[in-house]
Amino acid sequence: MPFAKKLFSAAAILLASTTLSWADELNVFLSPSPSSTAIQSFIPAFEKATGHKVNVTEVPYGEMHQKLMLAVQLKQGQYDVAQFDNSFLTPFGAAGTMLPLDDKIAASKEYDISDFSKGQQDYGKYKGQTLGLTLSTEPFIQWYRTDIYDALGLKPATTWDEYKANAKAVKESGKGDGAIFGFGPNVSWWWMTMVWSFGGKLYDENYNPTVNTPEAVAGTQFLKDMLAYAPEGAISASSDDATIKFLSTDIGAMVQYSGYWGMLSDPANQKHAGKIGTAPMPKGAVDVTHLAGWNIGIPSDAKNPDVAWQFMEFVLGKSNAKNYLNAGAAAIGRKSIITDPELVAKYPYLPVLDIPEGTRIERYPQIRVWPEFEKAALDALAGIMNGSVEVKAGLDALQETEKPILAQENAK
Amino acid sequence: MPMPSRGRSKSIETANARLAEMLVLPTWVMLIVVFALPIIGAFYLSFRNETLGAFVAAKFIGFDNYVLAFADPRFWESIWVTLILIVLALVVQIPLGIGLAVLLHRNLAGTQIFRTVLIIPMLLTPVAVGLMWRFMFDADLGVINWAFEQININGPNWLGWRWPAIMAVTIVDSWQSIPFVMLITLAGLAGLPKGPPEAASIDGARASQIFFYITLPSLLPVVLVIAMIRIIDCLKMFDLIFILTGKGGPGTATQTLGMLTYNTGFIFFQISRAAALGVLMIALVAPIYVMWRRATEYAR
Repeated sequence: MPFAKKLFSAAAILLASTTLSWADELNVFLSPSPSSTAIQSFIPAFEKATGHKVNVTEVPYGEMHQKLMLAVQLKQGQYDVAQFDNSFLTPFGAAGTMLPLDDKIAASKEYDISDFSKGQQDYGKYKGQTLGLTLSTEPFIQWYRTDIYDALGLKPATTWDEYKANAKAVKESGKGDGAIFGFGPNVSWWWMTMVWSFGGKLYDENYNPTVNTPEAVAGTQFLKDMLAYAPEGAISASSDDATIKFLSTDIGAMVQYSGYWGMLSDPANQKHAGKIGTAPMPKGAVDVTHLAGWNIGIPSDAKNPDVAWQFMEFVLGKSNAKNYLNAGAAAIGRKSIITDPELVAKYPYLPVLDIPEGTRIERYPQIRVWPEFEKAALDALAGIMNGSVEVKAGLDALQETEKPILAQENAK
Repeated sequence: MPMPSRGRSKSIETANARLAEMLVLPTWVMLIVVFALPIIGAFYLSFRNETLGAFVAAKFIGFDNYVLAFADPRFWESIWVTLILIVLALVVQIPLGIGLAVLLHRNLAGTQIFRTVLIIPMLLTPVAVGLMWRFMFDADLGVINWAFEQININGPNWLGWRWPAIMAVTIVDSWQSIPFVMLITLAGLAGLPKGPPEAASIDGARASQIFFYITLPSLLPVVLVIAMIRIIDCLKMFDLIFILTGKGGPGTATQTLGMLTYNTGFIFFQISRAAALGVLMIALVAPIYVMWRRATEYAR
């Protein structure tokens, strides 16, 4: 037998044995994030337990939704499991590109949906159908410096008025800046929260913009007023920048997604470790919780939907819930997790993830033109924040800009 | 030795020409696949209403995307921003690059070290450069405003306001591009005949007179080529702005046409509108390409 033939035969046998050793292959689409890292840490155990091979494709956040959109439109079964931002629930739902998971959830003791509050049970729902499991529970919460607050006799604010008064007290005491939001390229996150919190909405049920109502103006004015108590560079601070400033300089308080708690694990951000407290986000005219976080689901063209569910159940089920958090993921707001004394000692922010019944949960606007709507708002808010245009005038102009954008929402 | 007949010579020429065509063919195929087809595709898309996020059947909509672009103030603002960045780049980078080249051309002590150090920024990736400068420009934590504070100057909020942000982009772009201008000018200086400046010097001309009346006019073709290359670079500037000012911020202050096209296509998922912007960009760049061709011909 010539050498080349022997080599070819050996390679063929090796390839066949490798292929035959896996029951099924699962293609998982993820975005680099603590959640993704945690998910991947479970893959060896899943493969060993089930015999299914798991392939991971990681795509950066800035590109992931374009890629996923394209993949689901091609309907070639490219992915069996896909991580996605909650703001994409509507386009995915409208196009029927994600499998409803309600039957699988209801039948799964391991996943145990009753371990979630009502608001969180609905987090991945589109028109009553659950298209994505919660991959992270990240409400806007209040972060504050316990050492500064204790020294000044301040308590975490329960209302926005108190929040402003606390910020003023810290600033005037000379102990640091009062408070910070990300006033720069992500200011829309805080802006919409303020609009909701002050009783406004971004648009009505017919997709007419409502960004210049008295409530929206009041919320925007509050946001702008808070610049006076923020560090000078806050006006251009992204969400990450604001968090880094809070963690590395002296700032009394910050409202930020709970998921940013993971930044504290970076040695560069531990200057104030042990001196950071958390509390629910202050209330305005309306008790609102701005809830964000990742979802994960099964594309409707998935080749192995049952194995995909098996994988999601394995990683996100109750048995591995503690391990998932300890693997570095942003927390999922399971009741059993956020009330676990051992975990709370390790992750003190967990109790704040207990979203009370009665609060109005607001998610990223569920409209497919949201990216364009948000960009128009960001452009307008840049002018409002730096004072080149008055709040009301800026929002009036934004109202006109948003009309044709929202009109596309009704276009067929 | 018998001379080849005219007929045989012609057939050799034809065979050589065919061989040359065959050798060039892969390049042509690659150019068609990589450039021509995407441009034709973009042109086709620009007359439709393809959107990645709508999941509705796209259709032919004529010139609507172009009408929309011309009616959109963001389009005109992005052209304005692009022009400002081009003008600032040329005004800052060409004089400084030429000045440095003239200094290095004199072969003073330490020239080699200085030349190597000056080239370093050109070798760095724009994303890394953008991240580094973004941190340096930070109004609270950045080293630039800290340095200003040391001399009792209140530095601007570089990335929070329109003009400081434009200046920040120009500073970083210049930091990276001046070495390029310097290198090309140095090559141009090395190629100039030494006779005319020497003759002028013997005739009593001052150094500045020699530079402005002899050296600079002789370098003009090189400077033209540099200017054209920098204009094209500024027109396609993307990664630096993406990182440094967060996709063209604050607001739309540093949103160039390239950035607007990216935002429209990949953030709003408006593929056809982005294609129309891309086609308009080609229309804007085409005259510059013609000018560049003429400049290179003039340089020869």
